[in-house]
Amino acid sequence: MAAGAILEIRGLAKRFRARAPGAESPWIIRDLSFSVREGELLTIVGPSGAGKTTLLNMIAQTDTASGGEVRFRAQVAPLGDAKALRPGLSRQIGYITQDDNLLPWRTCLGNVLFPLEVQGRLDGQTRARAQSLVEAVGLAGFENHYPHELSGGMRKRTSLIRTLVYDPPVILMDEPFGAVDAQTRALLQADLLRLWGEGRKTIVFVTHDIAEAIALGDRTLVLSRAPASVKSEHLISIPRPRDIGGILTRPEFVTLYQAIRAEVA
Amino acid sequence: MARRSEVETGGAVPAPAAQRRSQRLDQALELVFLLALWQVLSLWLGTYWISSPLATLAGLFRGLASGELLLHASYTAGEAAIGFLVGGIPAAALPFALRRMPVMTAILDPFMVGGYGAPKLALAPLFILWFGIGIESKVALVGVTVFFIVYFSTLSGIRALDTRLVQMAQVMDANEHAVARHIVFPGAVPYIFTGLRIAMPYSIGGAVIAELISANRGLGYLVQLRAMNYDTTGIFVALAATTCIVFLGNWLVNALERFLLRWRPPADAMLQADA
Repeated sequence: MAAGAILEIRGLAKRFRARAPGAESPWIIRDLSFSVREGELLTIVGPSGAGKTTLLNMIAQTDTASGGEVRFRAQVAPLGDAKALRPGLSRQIGYITQDDNLLPWRTCLGNVLFPLEVQGRLDGQTRARAQSLVEAVGLAGFENHYPHELSGGMRKRTSLIRTLVYDPPVILMDEPFGAVDAQTRALLQADLLRLWGEGRKTIVFVTHDIAEAIALGDRTLVLSRAPASVKSEHLISIPRPRDIGGILTRPEFVTLYQAIRAEVA
Repeated sequence: MARRSEVETGGAVPAPAAQRRSQRLDQALELVFLLALWQVLSLWLGTYWISSPLATLAGLFRGLASGELLLHASYTAGEAAIGFLVGGIPAAALPFALRRMPVMTAILDPFMVGGYGAPKLALAPLFILWFGIGIESKVALVGVTVFFIVYFSTLSGIRALDTRLVQMAQVMDANEHAVARHIVFPGAVPYIFTGLRIAMPYSIGGAVIAELISANRGLGYLVQLRAMNYDTTGIFVALAATTCIVFLGNWLVNALERFLLRWRPPADAMLQADA
């Protein structure tokens, strides 16, 4: 295992069941390898349909791999057997999916408290932490609103802090800011950078937006078309703290953007 | 109920308060129209065949004043309510118990479909034979009627489970019990209520039919007794009282649903509001 790596993916492969009997089942991911350092914000870009979500599902152990290895610290994910999976590896890997997946019958605060409640860790201290996160992302005053009464951006924020509140050391994010307008998106990205700067979690952030990948990441991986593997790796040397709005005109940003775009296209 | 479809298909939605007011007005007009039609029919055909609205109203008041109507109505309502619970609670609980047993559910399925499809009212004579002419036979009939309706709507609620929510909870280390309690159950509640709302009038109907066949009290017994005496107005009074109980029951179920499902989006709540 590489020094300082918290997460290591080696020769990972995934094939889906064949559509018709006798047909060759397609590989969606093949021979995919990378590692993530502790405290790193790694972004992954790739064409749509490249198996980015499947990759995260396998890391979070909500889906099985067909081959290769996913290693978190010393623990290796089981292959093939869905029953042996441990989703979230006992709250060590948080997963923020594309859809906010808020429980519609719980209020904003109720959703944020949900993981603490099911983990049996809801007390004065964790409740105060939840409240401070609610305030940190500007949801104060909306605690008792139901999800359908919140805007798209507010729902994304609720979903984000619902995972932050129980403090998993690794957080996977699957295009979490996909379905919101550009302005809200920039605000959410700034929120994320600020919260990450305070907590320094390890984050694996998947997106199809190259600008987002560069703006947020310490390092960006580019995936190839299916069967997906790592096509290239780019170190993002733009100093932090970063200004999401101002970053777009920096010369190193433009160079990176053009280089990555040429690879994704 | 007629308004419901209108709200669903209506394109531009006016302000809720104004809309509700115009709806109330429409409903009042509809009521006046129906009463007028009823009056015309009774004048045309004679009160021997069709009692007049006024005579029915007077009969209602007389029955209420003497206490006779309330006595019979309370028997019918009681039978319906007990049968509703006796049939509804196991029907809502069973699909949860069977959730982790797909084989068992599949084995039961043809029997449930058969039970759902069988004409329950035809069972009334059998239940009277088994349980006598007292409250037990009525509760049995109502319970059986309600059971199958609620069972299938609850089952569809569990099948409509959003697996993404379950996965989210599992990643957060929720155990099986927490998933059932916080995700499966709340997600199925709207479906359970759909079943309860459909079953509500059936429960009162079932009680009345069982009383019609054999009983010594209740609104169905009253209908039967008055029919034998050629008391048309008396029958209309008993039917009007039955309708009132159905309205009351609907209101209770809707009020409970509105309270329990207050998390639902307003478009949905608006459809509920006028029911």
